[in-house]
Amino acid sequence: MRLSKDLGEISAAQYEARRKSQRANTWITVRRLMGYSSAYILMTAIALVFMIPLLWMFSTSLKTRADIFAWPPSWLPDVPMWENYVAAFTSYPLARFMLNSTILVVLNTIGELVSVPLIAYGFARLRFPFKKVLFLLMLSTMMIPGQIKLIPLYSMYSRLGLIDTYVPLFLPSFFGNPFFIFLMVQYIRTIPRDLDEAARIDGAGTWTILYRIILPLCKPALTVMIVFTFLWVWNDFLQPLIYLNDFNSYPISVGLAFFQGRYSVEWNMFMAATLVSILPVLVLYFFAQKHLIGGISALGLKG
Amino acid sequence: MKLGRFSLFGLLAAVFLLTTLVVSAQDVVTIEWWTVNSEEFDEQVQRDLVEQFNAEHPDIQVNMTLLPASGFDERMTTTLGAGQGAPDVAFFWINNWLPQALDIEPYLEADPDLGPENYFENFWNTRAVWNDTVVGLPLGVGANFVIYNKDVFDAAGVEYPTADWTTEDYNALASQLADEETRTWGGDRPRGPYRAIWYNYGAKVYSDDSTTVDGYLNSPESVASYTWLWDLVNSGATPTPADLEILGTEGTGPIDLFIAGRLAMATLNQGHMLNLIDEGINFGIVPEPAAPGSELRHANAWSLTASIWKGTEHPQEAYEWLSYWAGPEGQQFLMENGNLIPSMPDVLATYENADTEYAQAFFEVLELPQVAQWDNAHPCKGSVMSAVSDAWDLVNLGEIERDEVQATLDSLVPVGQAALDECLTRLGG
Repeated sequence: MRLSKDLGEISAAQYEARRKSQRANTWITVRRLMGYSSAYILMTAIALVFMIPLLWMFSTSLKTRADIFAWPPSWLPDVPMWENYVAAFTSYPLARFMLNSTILVVLNTIGELVSVPLIAYGFARLRFPFKKVLFLLMLSTMMIPGQIKLIPLYSMYSRLGLIDTYVPLFLPSFFGNPFFIFLMVQYIRTIPRDLDEAARIDGAGTWTILYRIILPLCKPALTVMIVFTFLWVWNDFLQPLIYLNDFNSYPISVGLAFFQGRYSVEWNMFMAATLVSILPVLVLYFFAQKHLIGGISALGLKG
Repeated sequence: MKLGRFSLFGLLAAVFLLTTLVVSAQDVVTIEWWTVNSEEFDEQVQRDLVEQFNAEHPDIQVNMTLLPASGFDERMTTTLGAGQGAPDVAFFWINNWLPQALDIEPYLEADPDLGPENYFENFWNTRAVWNDTVVGLPLGVGANFVIYNKDVFDAAGVEYPTADWTTEDYNALASQLADEETRTWGGDRPRGPYRAIWYNYGAKVYSDDSTTVDGYLNSPESVASYTWLWDLVNSGATPTPADLEILGTEGTGPIDLFIAGRLAMATLNQGHMLNLIDEGINFGIVPEPAAPGSELRHANAWSLTASIWKGTEHPQEAYEWLSYWAGPEGQQFLMENGNLIPSMPDVLATYENADTEYAQAFFEVLELPQVAQWDNAHPCKGSVMSAVSDAWDLVNLGEIERDEVQATLDSLVPVGQAALDECLTRLGG
């Protein structure tokens, strides 16, 4: 038996099989859609939960002091106090503080980029006496709490006449950072040595191998390093507080602390200023997230 | 030839200019001064004061470093610990720093215009004198007192407290004012034991001669104080420790809850009072309540110790600035242009808001005996209190029954005694 011409030259059995297959495909598509929808709904819900502090911060930045702790709490005040943002920026030179933070971030990032790959490459690829011991020694410096080093370091920088300059705040990054060195060493070890050897056969020296072969392959690790350096330097409060005297040279982390008086905190202005101050971090994360997530996965940092 | 003569003239002029600059640079002494901004003296007022001083003293230039209040302690501790880089003049408001403060008695003796008699005696004794040396000058005064929100009282139809009230009145008022529906609490709870209310009960953590804990920590007075706290905690009229932690303001007191109208009474201070004036809150002030049937009253009061660092290279010039800043000129300036309440009776006499209700109430609190008098004379109090903190925690968290207070304190006596003995040994008896 033949079916109509419209259906083509196929048998009934073939037709039935195709119908079944189409139904199965539709069902798979529906299941996929449901799966994706549920996943997106769940992820959106989780994202909203994570965003609550940020939303609360925004809400607080638009309130009067009396409204902040009022009951029942409101997400949006009847009259949003946008002037809190103006007041925050006129109370203290926040733009200047943010510029200072940017300068420190740039200097530290340059320092890390110069020193960390160099040291990490040495530990990962070169042979030299006491390599393991030196590597362990370097790692052990991570175990020393920063507060313990504070007084000796202050004493040293003070004797060098470097207090009230940015030097103590960026100079150490030019001598490497144990955490990043460790990460880079692990990452470089995953790059096949065949690449080094092939380059060496082609006449490349150690420097060429590092800068032309290894470093371009370390982009994910370098991105992680840059983003983490940005975050740490941007948020560092203690070191700038200890080393700087000049009010106009404070970074934003110290500048924000001025909204806390001896007896109270101007929460609304504090939140307004904080919200503005975290924008660069959010922007950086937005642009770097693809590399960052890839880098974190590659480095085995995710929990 | 012309050029040569011109060059010689130029050279001589340059040498003269350089010599003048060097000589004048040597003549001017720069004093490093670290401070914080506060409700009582903001950044601009302090910069104006420095400018005025610098103009009046061409041979001394004060360089002001403004630090955030939340980071001042870390900065001072680091520099004093390093033994270098500390400021010539600063607040030495932590007792551990006082060994590094210069004894200014010789400078005071040589100063015909300034002496202990210029300051309130209470604050001089508790804030300027340490270990029989004069370690600084007391700048401004502050104290804790109970501030009540008149609007909340009016809305609840409850009479305002009066200066002669007792702890029983406090609990009764708190219960009347608490409203679960609006999440309003009647009153906050003390932030630790053996503060004003404990002293008002006559309770002490150990004996005056610093030898015995038994009979003091577990005395009837101590038991009564803790039992009062137990009653307050279990009335439900006071925020829980978690509420205070979340809704309080960085450990300085629940000022924001008070401003939001969710706390009818709170133990706050003069800095908070200035916030309330700014916010237009309708409030009143009374001293912390006395124990029932007792006239005994104390105040947790303080002043800021302004000191000279022992390591200063310019003690005389540092004293010039210190005596200006914390002396009559400075305190007058900070009072008139800022919100400082001065520690000098003559300056305070010109306080323009002296007639206000809150100022009068505050002045009365300042005249009460201070908690710091006993505390300063008993440096082991902190160690002993830390060792017996279980009593506070158990009552504060509602973990024990009312009739278990005595037994709890009894059980902590050996621990407290051990802590006292250890502390006395550490301090050399």
